[in-house]
Amino acid sequence: MAVKIPNSIDELPTSSPRFIGHRVKRVEDTGLVTGRTEFIDNVSMTGMLHCAILRSPIAHAKIEKIDVSAALDLPGVVAVVTGEDAAKWSHPAASSPDGWGTYCLPADKVRFVGEPVAAVAATSRYIAEDALELIEIEYEPLDVVSDPVAAMEDGSPLVIEERGSNVMLQRVFNWGDTDAAFAAADHVFSEKFRWNRLGANPIETYGCISEWDPTELGITVRGAFQSPSHMALGRAMTFGLPSNKVRMIAHPHGGSFGGKGGVRGTDVSLLLSRKTGGRPIKWIEDRMEYLAAGGSQAWDRRYEFSIAVTNDGIVTGLKVKLVDDIGANGEGFGAISAAKPLAAFTGPYTIGAAQYDLSLVATNKAPASPYRGMGPPPHNFALEQMMDIAARSLGIDTAEFRRRNFIPKDAFPYIIPSGNEYDSGDYEAVLDKVLALSEYEKLREEQKLAREQGRLVGIGVASAIEPGVFDWNAYAVVGVQGTGVPEGATVSIDILGKVMVRVGFALEGQGQYTLVTQLVADYFGLEMEDVSVTMLDTASAPPAFGPGGSRLGVAITGAVLGACDRIRVKMCKVVAGLMQTEPENIQLMDGVFGIPGVSEAQMPMAQVAGTMLGASHLLPPDVDPRPEATHVWTAAGRTPVDEEGRTKSYLTAAHAVHIVLLEIDPDTGMVEIQKYVLVDDCGTRLNPATVEGQTQGSVAQGIGAALLEEYVYDEDGQLLTSTYMDYLLPTIHDVPALVMGEVVTPSPFSPLGAKGCGEGAIHTTPAAVMCAINDALVPLGTRANEVPAAPNRLWKLIHTARENTSSD
Amino acid sequence: MKPPPFEYEAPTTIQEVVALLQQHDGEAKILAGGQSLMPLLNMRFARPTALIDLGRMTDLDYIREENGAIAIGAMTTKRSVERSDLVKSRQPLLHASTTWIAHPQIRNRGTVGGSMAQADPAAEYPAVAVALDAEFVIAGPDGQRSVAASDFFITYLTTALKENEVLTEIRVPVLPERTGWSIQEVARRHGDFAMVGAVAILGLAGGSCESARVVLFGVGATPQRATSVEQALIGQAASEALFATAAEKAAEGLEDTISDVHASAEYRRHLAQVLTRRALAEAAERA
Amino acid sequence: MATMKTVRMKVNGVTHESEVEPRTTLVDFLRGPLALTGTHVGCEHGVCGACTILVDGRTARSCLMLAVQADGAEITTVEGLATPEGLHPIQQAFIEEHGLQCGFCTPGFLMSLVELLSENPDPSDAEIKDVLGGQICRCTGYQSILKSVHSAIAKLRTAGVAAQPPLA
Ligand SMILES: Cc1cc2nc3c(=O)[nH]c(=O)nc-3n(C[C@H](O)[C@H](O)[C@H](O)COP(=O)(O)OP(=O)(O)OC[C@H]3O[C@@H](n4cnc5c(N)ncnc54)[C@H](O)[C@@H]3O)c2cc1C
Ligand code: FES
Ligand code: FES
Repeated sequence: MAVKIPNSIDELPTSSPRFIGHRVKRVEDTGLVTGRTEFIDNVSMTGMLHCAILRSPIAHAKIEKIDVSAALDLPGVVAVVTGEDAAKWSHPAASSPDGWGTYCLPADKVRFVGEPVAAVAATSRYIAEDALELIEIEYEPLDVVSDPVAAMEDGSPLVIEERGSNVMLQRVFNWGDTDAAFAAADHVFSEKFRWNRLGANPIETYGCISEWDPTELGITVRGAFQSPSHMALGRAMTFGLPSNKVRMIAHPHGGSFGGKGGVRGTDVSLLLSRKTGGRPIKWIEDRMEYLAAGGSQAWDRRYEFSIAVTNDGIVTGLKVKLVDDIGANGEGFGAISAAKPLAAFTGPYTIGAAQYDLSLVATNKAPASPYRGMGPPPHNFALEQMMDIAARSLGIDTAEFRRRNFIPKDAFPYIIPSGNEYDSGDYEAVLDKVLALSEYEKLREEQKLAREQGRLVGIGVASAIEPGVFDWNAYAVVGVQGTGVPEGATVSIDILGKVMVRVGFALEGQGQYTLVTQLVADYFGLEMEDVSVTMLDTASAPPAFGPGGSRLGVAITGAVLGACDRIRVKMCKVVAGLMQTEPENIQLMDGVFGIPGVSEAQMPMAQVAGTMLGASHLLPPDVDPRPEATHVWTAAGRTPVDEEGRTKSYLTAAHAVHIVLLEIDPDTGMVEIQKYVLVDDCGTRLNPATVEGQTQGSVAQGIGAALLEEYVYDEDGQLLTSTYMDYLLPTIHDVPALVMGEVVTPSPFSPLGAKGCGEGAIHTTPAAVMCAINDALVPLGTRANEVPAAPNRLWKLIHTARENTSSD
Repeated sequence: MKPPPFEYEAPTTIQEVVALLQQHDGEAKILAGGQSLMPLLNMRFARPTALIDLGRMTDLDYIREENGAIAIGAMTTKRSVERSDLVKSRQPLLHASTTWIAHPQIRNRGTVGGSMAQADPAAEYPAVAVALDAEFVIAGPDGQRSVAASDFFITYLTTALKENEVLTEIRVPVLPERTGWSIQEVARRHGDFAMVGAVAILGLAGGSCESARVVLFGVGATPQRATSVEQALIGQAASEALFATAAEKAAEGLEDTISDVHASAEYRRHLAQVLTRRALAEAAERA
Repeated sequence: MATMKTVRMKVNGVTHESEVEPRTTLVDFLRGPLALTGTHVGCEHGVCGACTILVDGRTARSCLMLAVQADGAEITTVEGLATPEGLHPIQQAFIEEHGLQCGFCTPGFLMSLVELLSENPDPSDAEIKDVLGGQICRCTGYQSILKSVHSAIAKLRTAGVAAQPPLA
């Protein structure tokens, strides 16, 4: 019998859900507010040594000689590893596009500042760092290429010589007749954009404790893994081990946002463990390591956008050219974030034809990593600027211009030119609501007055899609194989009717354990306290990926409800046997099994469980006596890519419109956000408080992206923003109070109709802030096309524009 | 990010401090609040053989008025300055500048002496010291000497303090009558070091500028007096227009303007003018 | 190796005495030998605030202090907030108002708020922001933290208790 997973809350076996859809307190929080939650750096093991990693101070150089003898002589030092050990015991990173992976410790040359070259295991981190200073390395500097455009030219220094070029991938995708759309257009608008490197920066860096078992030839790693199963596969490939000999134990971690990284450090610590005969090696990445070479850096992009527009303001074609600077290799999965925009290439609009001219380029910079949003935020930023450029040129209000181009609500499911299918939505309703909430007309009036006083006040209206529930097929165009991302959960009920749910991912902050608890409690009519959630390691967990690509909320809902349904079916059999009827006649409602309408034929779930586990003589002969089931959920209907890279990838499409009012101080270039209003539609809200939190946090990251955050390299490939004094994260002063509203269009495809919403506002916020900045700049006839809009950049634009007008 | 090894001393008298400094022959470092030194140690950018912790020197923690000046012990924390009623009433500029420095958690430990000795070009206190003609009291092997603020800050992170000397007190003249003041700065985020800051002190008599002191920070290696601005003001009737024209001279004479990832030299020179104008206007209001 | 030093300090009411290397940072001392791992490390250069604790009742970055500097001091860490009877009102407020997500930054926020609210039981938003400006949270966007602070203020007022656990 097919497992039944409700598509709406109404289909849950409860007359009125007490937890799902409510703002419940999180089950995660007591441990966190008391400091008891076991983050990886809290763990110590017998015989444990501490690892410190020596990193290259040069962006590109041959390693001539490494002398570790003095380091080995330091009391407390147990082992040192170098590229020699890596070459002997491991393979190049499997996470890179084919042929672009390098060893965790290179033996031949270094390719970016911060690249590991040697590592020490010692009795304390202090001593390990002392030992690093005793390692002598002779480098022969090579020419550095830090600009991706220069890197594409013939004769450029090569990051990986064997490849013969720095271009990892170059491809032009054509979806529909783009040229015809442009030829037929009344107007064509083109603009160049620059999005500078930024990144995840969770407050906890990566950390792990690695153990190599010299007898079993297997490894165990405890650590802050966003996706333990994925890390496990990678380690198996890197160390040439059977995947069943690799065990990853995930610990709760202090955020990830895609950028936890840690792959190299894990591999280095594993080499050290092997060299020390299997001692546990702890490596805690420090903040400077994270900033220079952790999973810290993403999206270093140069864009050219063109749109074709009709006289009545309909966008008919889109051309995008992207040069994506991936850094020294693709080992951090940075290469795949240029593929994700395919899932929402044309945004919430009916644009019928599109072209994507994509180049992924290697340079002597840190390898690019994933970051919340995984690629579309820069794309959306540029697309939304284009919408404004067109609207202004045609004299149409920017909000109205979007409305004209929105996919209408009766057109869903809707397939966009790049192949993905949007499940549902009501974009106009979202726009109407945010216009009303923000008192948009009034804002425009205020702006008019301000402009008359010569003030630079701008209003940004930006709209974007958040593809939810990722699928590997979304990344097929950059060489990632696979369709479907299974997520499993085991629901297990004890003899007293209490429930344990076993999952394959650790706490990361989004509150999924709470969600699991809500689901099970409502499904079986229990209190939240009656349900607990445990993380299993990769050796015992059902197939699982964990958080990522706005998927886990939906996926774990599917897994848990699937497992609950399997148990329900078993229990119905048991109850039917006891009541001498057919299982089809038994119904579960509010935690009680029974024959509907027959009051004496009712049995609470706990009693059924008790019977299954403690009264075997009462059970029907053919029944499986375990009140336990595992369900592995994956999105249905996903398709492999076609020859143009098109596929149904992401299952859901959440939508949002943000409105920002801000003012630029023309004398300093400083931006003050005065009002921030947003309305989003992410389908059914399973825990509104969590959704709200994800949105608020994501807005803050989006504001960081638009105004503050940037990794700056000089021409020699030296990182100039190597501490938090220079890489600027938003503080409480930088994030305005938010006004938030919602529209709910449940997904017809997903468990309970929820849509992925974990990435959230970062898809829209940078676009909205930049739209507002450019709106403010209109009277000066200049534009800000570079992110972040740091004050020195804005001032320069304003200053130049003023000089030009005064010299006219 | 763990500090390199060093010896640790926690003396309780100035004589001991000086003796220890001599004993370590220029290789020791004084530790005050640690809010600048500790990051450098954690990053291993500083490698002293010993730290001489002034944390037990409780007699260097005071704020008192003496002979027309506020005398502040080097180990007085910024928190104490921020909360001192004496400072608020008698030298409000010093109070106001304190609130621009970092965050309460840092001000709880960071000291006045530490900020002066650190001499960060973008720091508020050195600029305020120069603007107010503060005096620095220094103890060394040959006893005590005092140095004027204008001679104390030599260049980037470098002061008149010799290797075997310790700063013991900063004497800040109280604000004269009919004198207005202002501190303005632009930082990327609240609490960050300034990209550029300006301090103005304006003495008005009958609507005209009797005295003027303008000091810029974050532009050059040390706090810089904008003497051309000052000259353009003296004897002139205070007005928005005067401040605007005077402020245009703020970038004149600035040497080796800093350029970094947050602000180009050109932008800094521009900010110097903007902030000078704003500081003068506010100072005039307060005068 | 440098000469070891003996330090004695009272942490959450319990007196500890040990030998330390002078370079040991206070946060490493608390998390290592004292096994008080609730104080977190996010940057080790004073910016993030994850390591914020109370030293003699005042907030300090424990990554920017040496253990030897705390000799003779009274220290409160997040472990010192809850009692066997229950959570501290500020902790409760953070749970109720969803003032945390990953929770890694939370101990630092709590300690900063303990200092603020014990000195100023009814702070303005500007005063709250002045203090929390020194604490970075990457997850929440601060909105729910601000709400939690307001809820904590109300809870403390109703309970009529001081935010700061009395120093022993
Ligand atoms: C996150 C953060 C943000 C900050 N933001 C700002 C800011 O906006 N503005 C600002 O001005 N500062 C800022 N600071 C620096 C802070 O103000 C420091 O407290 C200050 O610069 C140094 O004071 P300290 O007492 O901590 O000195 P320490 O760090 O202990 O010492 C600094 C230097 O001075 C020497 N020294 C200290 N005292 C003496 C003495 N009495 N005699 C001789 N030498 C001495 C030391 O040897 C050392 O070289 C910030 C710091 C941090 C961590
Ligand atoms: S770890 Fe101490 S402030 Fe970041
Ligand atoms: S809750 Fe994750 S950093 Fe604040």
